[in-house]
Amino acid sequence: MNLIPDAGSGFCPSDARESVDWRRRNLLRLIGVMLARMNFPKSAFAGGRQGTDGSGQRVIAVIFGGVRRAETFSTDGIENIPHLANDLFPQSLFFRDVRNEGVTAHFNAISSVLTGNWQHVDDWGKLPPTTPTLFEYFRKKFGAERSDTWVIASNKALTSQIGASSAANFGPPYGANVVFPKQLMVAAVSNALRTGRSRNMADRAKVEAELENMLEAGNYEGLGWTVSDGTNRLDPRVRGTVEEAITTFVRSGGPTSGDELTFLVSREVMRKFSPRLLVVIFSDVEVAHFGSYALHVAGIRTGDRLAYELWQEIQANPDYRGKTTMVVLPEFGRDPDGSTTNGFFNHRGNTDSTRSTWMLALGLGVGKPQVIERPIQHVDLCCTLAGLLGCPSVESQGKPLLELRV
Amino acid sequence: MRESQTVSSQAERKLPPQLQQALNKGLMKRLPITFQPFTRQQIRDWSYLFPYERQSILSLLLYLANLTDAQLADLFREIVQLEEKMGVRSWQFSTEEQTILNASLLARSPYYQDWRKAVQKVFDRAEEHRGKEPRNDTEGKRLILMEIPARLPLEPSKVWRKWEGVGRPLKLQSVSPTAPLGLAEILIGSSQAREGSGLLEIMAEQPNVSFADTWIIDAGGNLVEAALKGIPTGASTPPAILISYPRLAEFRENFSHQINTMQKDLADADAVYARLRQTDVSPWCPPEVASEPVIREFLRSLYLSGNGALIYANSFVEWGVSEAFRRARPSVVVAQFGVRSKPKPFTSVAIFENQEQINPLPAVDDLPGSALDAQVMALYIWLAASRFDEYQRNTVCLCIAASLGEVYVVAPPEFSLLHESEPVTVDGLRDTVMQWIAANQRVAP
Repeated sequence: MNLIPDAGSGFCPSDARESVDWRRRNLLRLIGVMLARMNFPKSAFAGGRQGTDGSGQRVIAVIFGGVRRAETFSTDGIENIPHLANDLFPQSLFFRDVRNEGVTAHFNAISSVLTGNWQHVDDWGKLPPTTPTLFEYFRKKFGAERSDTWVIASNKALTSQIGASSAANFGPPYGANVVFPKQLMVAAVSNALRTGRSRNMADRAKVEAELENMLEAGNYEGLGWTVSDGTNRLDPRVRGTVEEAITTFVRSGGPTSGDELTFLVSREVMRKFSPRLLVVIFSDVEVAHFGSYALHVAGIRTGDRLAYELWQEIQANPDYRGKTTMVVLPEFGRDPDGSTTNGFFNHRGNTDSTRSTWMLALGLGVGKPQVIERPIQHVDLCCTLAGLLGCPSVESQGKPLLELRV
Repeated sequence: MRESQTVSSQAERKLPPQLQQALNKGLMKRLPITFQPFTRQQIRDWSYLFPYERQSILSLLLYLANLTDAQLADLFREIVQLEEKMGVRSWQFSTEEQTILNASLLARSPYYQDWRKAVQKVFDRAEEHRGKEPRNDTEGKRLILMEIPARLPLEPSKVWRKWEGVGRPLKLQSVSPTAPLGLAEILIGSSQAREGSGLLEIMAEQPNVSFADTWIIDAGGNLVEAALKGIPTGASTPPAILISYPRLAEFRENFSHQINTMQKDLADADAVYARLRQTDVSPWCPPEVASEPVIREFLRSLYLSGNGALIYANSFVEWGVSEAFRRARPSVVVAQFGVRSKPKPFTSVAIFENQEQINPLPAVDDLPGSALDAQVMALYIWLAASRFDEYQRNTVCLCIAASLGEVYVVAPPEFSLLHESEPVTVDGLRDTVMQWIAANQRVAP
């Protein structure tokens, strides 16, 4: 008997989400529109631009999907995160108990991190967060360009609504650029399938052409990429950025998961636009919803490696080296083994396994490496990062993390 | 002997008169809003419920029906108050059936966890009441037999670590990884393959056994095919509920195709799910499923509830067995895990698409990955069973790691192999298991 909507009750919105098929959104027509509508002023294309307002600091937040402590910072889990544990942890401010006390589903979890307030909006991303995001505070206070703030995400539960709130006096005019590189892949596969060219997806050269066709065709709404105003043309700089990432993705012969492409696009965006606030969201781990523990763990290992490679890019890129604070945290954990919600498959339990995770902070905002034992909350992050960026006035349910400061 | 009642005839039952009477007196209207979709759905699907869950819902509803208005108000007070706070009446909340939109509305409410606790309290009260009634369904001997097949490489030092010592590993003698029959298949037995009665024959000889008492859920096809071969000519009833992942390929692909049409929208998701609930799935089912409406509907519900059942064979096995425990409380479950392919480059992002059809690259077996998946799924099956009273005392759980020639034994002290220090033969294991089940004098609910 099961009245409570958990794994045994006949609902699994997460599966349904994964099933979303963007073919029907006429992607080819809209892709170009979406990128073209991104607001990229010429000044933002110069590259290497120094912050002339705010603190001059840059902030990069790397957010994983749901991962349990058991598979990460635990005796058995540590082998899954060699880079976080061995390369980054020793130089980090490590918050041992970071709690998600809100809705442990993707859109609400990420928007709670980004707004500093527990959000309870539609979890399929139909509605924006109800209070301003970090992007909006930053852009409004300093008149920063849209291209200074980006969300680059693999997670299909997100939509462009993650980039700006519905709050009065804030909203989309102050929102971030939002791109979902994995959606480009899903759309390319779907399009190839629909037009009888799915065999192309077995040939790397043809895969590249399929992905670029998606870019060229100008049909972006289904991808969920941000739109601000409307022309039909793709800004050449943005297109070049994404194309560069696609080329590396396809030709390198390396792994081909959604997170790999998200990483490559993020790195190209850093190189071309050097945004001052970048949020990168990895979600290969969410294969857990389908019950493959091995692939879930592989997703953790991928995230571990890519987070480290982002840190290496920060060290190698003069726009970021010595000016950047990077935080790495999961959205939440996952349900404990033996739970009625089918353990690691899901993240709906009201347990420590689901709610308690961790956070690594690295770089400029870190005074000295140490482990912080006291519990903190996801909503503490927005006001803390806002402080680092020089805009401390944030209405948040959280409290600033005093260990992280300019 | 096994009751001659078939699955089909079980499905044709009407509501018990006392339940019908309670409904006629307006029981449904006395329930809180958030209780109604579940209850209505159970009543509507009565023909497709297993005997255990019929008994369970009957007991709950009769308990509620027999409460006075004051007692009912007291029982549901907390839920009703929370519904007020959540503003459920202003939601687009279906009282007819459980929908994705319902689940989403509840889950994002700030009061969701409180509501869950309050609901659980009601069920606990009902269960407490049920506990006062005489029950005979927790005494029988039960068996959970799983196999991680020989193809899957397992690390001896890690394979049982997550079981945290709840049982112990036992070496099997002379197990050849190249043996033509899987161990679980040998244990099921059939008159052609081995001498003596197999597990299915023994179960068939138990008194008053329900049709849902024995389940075989197979990531491959060999167990189910062996069981089907063992059905005597002219017998109309399969010897157990027989579910094979590959034999359900057409069912699965048609469901996946429908789910692929879903827009990223709750209303559309519910519309697709509603369509899938109405679709006649019989043409997509193998005969052993097509002929049994209860099993057909079990599978439909399994696929609609996600948890990877449409995607990976081992997830299907785990989730299928877990749901069997929850809904049917079987006495004997045999589960065999299998192999999945590695994700194919690029196209694997479209997870609901059939990779074999959309990507011409050859499928490559992921043996180590499948082994790890199976290891965790086997543990989850045991954990799923151990949540229920029926499996607390008299249950033997055996997980065979064929590649290691080992079986992990979780059992009550009287199960002799629990104390065995020497390796046992497969025949010895088989005989002990058969004796365990044959000694069963349980009376089914």
